Amino acid sequence: MAQQTPVRPLGAPGDGAMIDEDWEALRFRVHRSAYREPGVFAEEIARIWGHTWLYLGHETEIPKAGDFKTRTLGGRPLIFCRDADGEVRVFFNSCTHRGTVLCRHSEGNTKFFQCFYHAWAFSNSGELAALPGDDAYPDDPAFRASMALRQVPRLQIHEGFVFIAFDPDVPDLLTHLGPAAHYMSLTAKIGERGMTTLPGVQLYSVKGNWKLAVENAMDGYHFAPTHNTFVGYLRETGFAVTDDDQYAYDLGGGHGLLVLTGHNGRIGMVWEPRFGEEEKERTAVKRRELEARLGPELAAEVADASRILFVFPNLLLFDLEALTIRQLEPVAADRTDVRAWQFVEVGEPESVRALRIKTMVSFVGPGGLATPDDIEAYEAVQRGIVATADAADPAHDWSDMSRGMANEKQGNQGRSIDEGAMRSFWRQWAHVVGASTSVAGAPPAGAPASGPAAAEAGE
Amino acid sequence: MSAVTAGNGSRGGVVKVESREVTRAEVEEFLYREAQLLDEWRLDEWFTLFEPDGRLEVPTTDWAGWDATTAGYFVADDYELIRARVKRLKSRKAHAENPHSRTHRMVSNVILLEAGAETVWITANFVIHRYRDGGAYTYVGRYEHVLKVEPDGLRFRVRRAVPVMESMDPGARLSFIL
Repeated sequence: MAQQTPVRPLGAPGDGAMIDEDWEALRFRVHRSAYREPGVFAEEIARIWGHTWLYLGHETEIPKAGDFKTRTLGGRPLIFCRDADGEVRVFFNSCTHRGTVLCRHSEGNTKFFQCFYHAWAFSNSGELAALPGDDAYPDDPAFRASMALRQVPRLQIHEGFVFIAFDPDVPDLLTHLGPAAHYMSLTAKIGERGMTTLPGVQLYSVKGNWKLAVENAMDGYHFAPTHNTFVGYLRETGFAVTDDDQYAYDLGGGHGLLVLTGHNGRIGMVWEPRFGEEEKERTAVKRRELEARLGPELAAEVADASRILFVFPNLLLFDLEALTIRQLEPVAADRTDVRAWQFVEVGEPESVRALRIKTMVSFVGPGGLATPDDIEAYEAVQRGIVATADAADPAHDWSDMSRGMANEKQGNQGRSIDEGAMRSFWRQWAHVVGASTSVAGAPPAGAPASGPAAAEAGE
Repeated sequence: MSAVTAGNGSRGGVVKVESREVTRAEVEEFLYREAQLLDEWRLDEWFTLFEPDGRLEVPTTDWAGWDATTAGYFVADDYELIRARVKRLKSRKAHAENPHSRTHRMVSNVILLEAGAETVWITANFVIHRYRDGGAYTYVGRYEHVLKVEPDGLRFRVRRAVPVMESMDPGARLSFIL
């Protein structure tokens, strides 16, 4: 058997790089310790979660004054609430006195948060409202002021999507989002009367690294083999699935986008037989409504293609059969908590809402016909990659993500069934985490297209 | 309908649906046989336990009684989707269940809540142990079923499994029947 001679010797690159990119050999590899090592995980929490905008939740989760949810981001317990004046506030969920978790309910409505330990109470705008036995404390308003609830350093909202940062010096949210902001706006424009999250949040946990969940979402290559049974179900219901004309975009900043024309039907946008005749009629009406409100071009952009948007580092918007917001919360190198909300049109007819929920949960989520196979896949990766740790041949301990690199080198638009979206994610990851990257050969000249519109403009 | 409370339809574990008596023992027998079919992965036989138009539902862990047509769920299957689910789970291409999980169901605390015109509403507790990939997972919750009472037995009109865990965690893949 002929021995293949690599352009550059395989094995760990000399400087201990985590990413190994070779534009002559058309090879892109990620070192598997990136998914495994607690040290890498600690760096991610410190450098990414500690210094980047993070998706916290949607404004519609707390519609009324006094509404609150508690949630953990980057391991830090938070209170996400709407104060008495209707302002969205985010506090560290920790009593300023001794650090007790202040609010131990997952959701509710309250004017005050009271610590059960020593009965300190705080208003829902954060002021210290009650301090039992305050005669033993300094008689100084500054003392009380200094004991106000700690707010997260930054909070900004884009189209109802609430982001926070634990670092006061992050750039503005819109700067961070870049072109991703536009694709978030597209989802927000679907409903004539706006969009809202529904109760019934899918909370689950997977035994896999958070980056495997990102890769899975940005990876069209796995769709046909992994979801064979779901594709079979679609065929039986009269809808052929194709992977033609489906593209991947690097939106910069680690954000990625798959645009999936002809992927599946979409409620109210692209009809397919399993949605029924009533929905066929409504889809036509809905399209006219979109065109009247947004103009034909924007209406087409909103309606004609499915999209999967990843906003670095923890938000995924699945604009598929219906819309799902998915949030990733890394718990350990080998464990990720996932939270998923259905995102729906305000005021849509009951029958449409029912169809939307049925359709979405039949595919997406732990009980669907597809997501369990995704979870199986990345849990299986997590179990498998220990095999080559400290392998006799260090060349074995790498994962390959080179699919479609020749195409990328020629400057062609990346396809969703290639691995280009994963490569751009990993490049940004290495940049932010400070992991070393080994690059050989000349990368393609010119910036990658940052979206379908940009791609057309460049032609 | 949120957390169910004992209705006043049941006296001594017996309700009357039209002229037909339904006993707790009959309901228990039905649930035990269902558990056996599922533990043995006899899914075609399990599917016959549903009446046409039957539903299969698993609400999310934050459930506060919301209908499956108004809130997110884990499973909200109509009859055709249950059929599709069974077909999928029997395929070796259902990767999340190839090989199948080993499951072991315990059903108890069976209560007959209320009789309808042709149905009986029941609740029961379940514990399901699941073993796969070297992991052991426990799922705890209650059933809230609407059973169609037929001359020759019972059928599911609504089969609802309500998890009581705070999160589907770990072992999130609900690729077996909860």
